[in-house]
Amino acid sequence: MRKKGRYFWIALIILSITSFLLAETLIVKVKTTYLRKEPLFYSQTMAALQAGQTLEKISSQGSWLKVKTSSGLIGWVHASAVQQKKFTLLALNKTVKTKTSAEEVALAAKGFNKQVEDKYRARHKNLSYAWVERMLRFRLTPDQIKAFLKEGKLAEFGGGQ
Amino acid sequence: MRKNSLIGLKVLVTSLILAVSSCAVVEKGVNMLPTGGKISEKDKRAVVKTTKALRKTFADITEEEEYYIGRTVAALILSRYPVYNHKALTSYVNYVGKAVAIYSDRPEIYAGYHFLILDSEEVNALSAPGGFVFISKGLLKRCKDEEMLASILAHEIGHVSARHGLKSIKKSRLIDAFKIIGQEVAQRYSPEKLTKLTDIFEGVLSDIAEKLIERGYDRKYEYEADKLGVKFATRTGYDPHGLADFLKIMAAEASKPGLKGWFQTHPSPQDRLARVNKEIAGLGKIPHKELVRNQRFAKAIKGLK
Repeated sequence: MRKKGRYFWIALIILSITSFLLAETLIVKVKTTYLRKEPLFYSQTMAALQAGQTLEKISSQGSWLKVKTSSGLIGWVHASAVQQKKFTLLALNKTVKTKTSAEEVALAAKGFNKQVEDKYRARHKNLSYAWVERMLRFRLTPDQIKAFLKEGKLAEFGGGQ
Repeated sequence: MRKNSLIGLKVLVTSLILAVSSCAVVEKGVNMLPTGGKISEKDKRAVVKTTKALRKTFADITEEEEYYIGRTVAALILSRYPVYNHKALTSYVNYVGKAVAIYSDRPEIYAGYHFLILDSEEVNALSAPGGFVFISKGLLKRCKDEEMLASILAHEIGHVSARHGLKSIKKSRLIDAFKIIGQEVAQRYSPEKLTKLTDIFEGVLSDIAEKLIERGYDRKYEYEADKLGVKFATRTGYDPHGLADFLKIMAAEASKPGLKGWFQTHPSPQDRLARVNKEIAGLGKIPHKELVRNQRFAKAIKGLK
């Protein structure tokens, strides 16, 4: 009887380790996003997350994902900011640690990147990017967005769905 | 007793098989990738090519690539139209646009959504891939309230969200580009590859700019953007009639001769109005207009010349 119990425990441990290894890992695919305290864009932020950073999925709520960062912080990210990482087990095997999946290759600043833009700009010296850069500098904080929605009786503060 | 331990042993074996087989699935995946020492350099390169050749269509364009395409499309738009440099009004347009973007289907894009006013009396609104959205002074002047502005921006966000700009790129160009990108293993492109890739980049830009600025997107994309605009504006808490109201104003103007911009690149406002009304009728609860929004719109637009 005791022997049977032991087998079950060992089986349980093996199964939980397996499921842990296959846990869903996510990669940040946008330049910068934030780990948020609540599943809302105007929620307080806990940490900035950069493109390529990996996160562990804990659960989901609508389009929001509860995740854990490598430093152990737990918070929310929007699903459109991340993509699923394949071959989670790769990380365990030292010999293949540096190998990448197709998704990671695509994320590794390849393709139409800064180098291509620089070359294009060298060919079209009269084309100005000054306003493009100025556009990009305009940012709103979660508090500013919240105040705007609240004042306008929008979203959760009014008739949003 | 013995029977029980046999069952336990079976459970253990089953779980071991499960664990090992799940590893095997992954290992199979690993073997598809280049592994040190096990396969020749030539095979390795072939495998790298196969792995990377998985990218085929516009849907495989990464967020970062979309951003880099969008930056130059935006620069090209701005080479045709001067900027209406009004800090307070630009800020207000960004607030409205960013609020709607949050409630869109694609709130997070590589570098976020950004909005700018074009100094042109022409009625026009354009959105480059990667979230660079432009609205003309002429169009702003025709907006009567925040709902109208929000609906127009929601329509443009709809184009970005559904990647209509990227869908305008000719397939053959993407296939050529992905081939070059796939062959390159180094961090930076060789001068020869860079030249080829930049040539393709030029083509990609002309495909998008031609649709966006000259001819307009396919009708089906405009209808889809209207549908998404209604959806996003409603989700944000705006009365979706904003778009219908704007289209009514446009319908009244559509008979004028020599109209450019928006009239040239969009299907007839009457046609769109009928579809938008149908879309709104299909919605359940609709948010209503709020006086406070009208007031802040009036205040923001006051200085527009």
